[in-house]
Amino acid sequence: MKALVVDDSLLARSLLVGALKEIGISDVDQASDGLSAVKLTLQESYSIIMIDWNMPNMLGIDALRSIRKKDIETPIMMVTGLADALHIQEAIQAGVNDYMIKPFNKKQAIEKITSLLQIEAPKACC
Amino acid sequence: MSSNNLQLVKRKLENMTSSPNKMAPVVRAEYINPFIESVNNLFHTMLDCHVHREKLALNLTVQPSRDIVGLVGLSGNIQGIVSIAFPVKTAMKLVGTLYHEELVVVDEKVTDAIAEVVNIVAGGAQAIINQNMNKPIELSIPTVIRGNRFTINYPKLTSWIEIPFYSDLGEFMIRVTINSKEI
Repeated sequence: MKALVVDDSLLARSLLVGALKEIGISDVDQASDGLSAVKLTLQESYSIIMIDWNMPNMLGIDALRSIRKKDIETPIMMVTGLADALHIQEAIQAGVNDYMIKPFNKKQAIEKITSLLQIEAPKACC
Repeated sequence: MSSNNLQLVKRKLENMTSSPNKMAPVVRAEYINPFIESVNNLFHTMLDCHVHREKLALNLTVQPSRDIVGLVGLSGNIQGIVSIAFPVKTAMKLVGTLYHEELVVVDEKVTDAIAEVVNIVAGGAQAIINQNMNKPIELSIPTVIRGNRFTINYPKLTSWIEIPFYSDLGEFMIRVTINSKEI
């Protein structure tokens, strides 16, 4: 399995990469803006994409729309501090499969990722 | 935060805003409490750490600072700025805890993490505020400033609500200045 983690924050990327590693996904590409993420999805095939909303160059929501327009059906999780119903609704309409609100901890991230990928969470975690 | 504490904050803000100081704008408790709630949520979820708020203050100026300050802008029906100022010692401990490592210098890793913390606090507060707003407020991408005794001036926004916090990782200060079109 290969994942793409997109966030302009090094901290957020590091926390998500750590959670992915914990469930055995260590092949992870990273991007810090929406535009780079869209480019990567055209070059690589991913099992999961985790993407922030507020980023420079291209917002995560616009990257999400762009990825879906290209008929890429990879499960995408929006990972953002934008926690209100309007943003969640907008993301669902754009084709997101799951939505994780910041702040999160490793345990919560693992639960979300394993649920989205329909795989088992590691027994001893966090 | 308990409902008693929320009531207390509300009363304090009402007292402050009813002061004879005509320069001080009315800042509603429902715009400030979400930031307190959001800070508590972040510290509990990401840092597994207790944090408590100390006495609120209303200031017309912000004193020169040596802190690491994260800023995020609010736009829409509420226009304003939220800043979280971390003394270097607190910032290092906080970021070190997030990365599970001991940090010795303020580098990009530290400033990036402080920006993310401000972003998360503002995002959480935004969600709570938007529950009661007809027109949602929006957030800007956060900025981090670090320097030697810098001052931040925002002439159109006349006062800052200061909310000092103390945690196991050290002290820090949230400052919120809001100009509401609804007032």
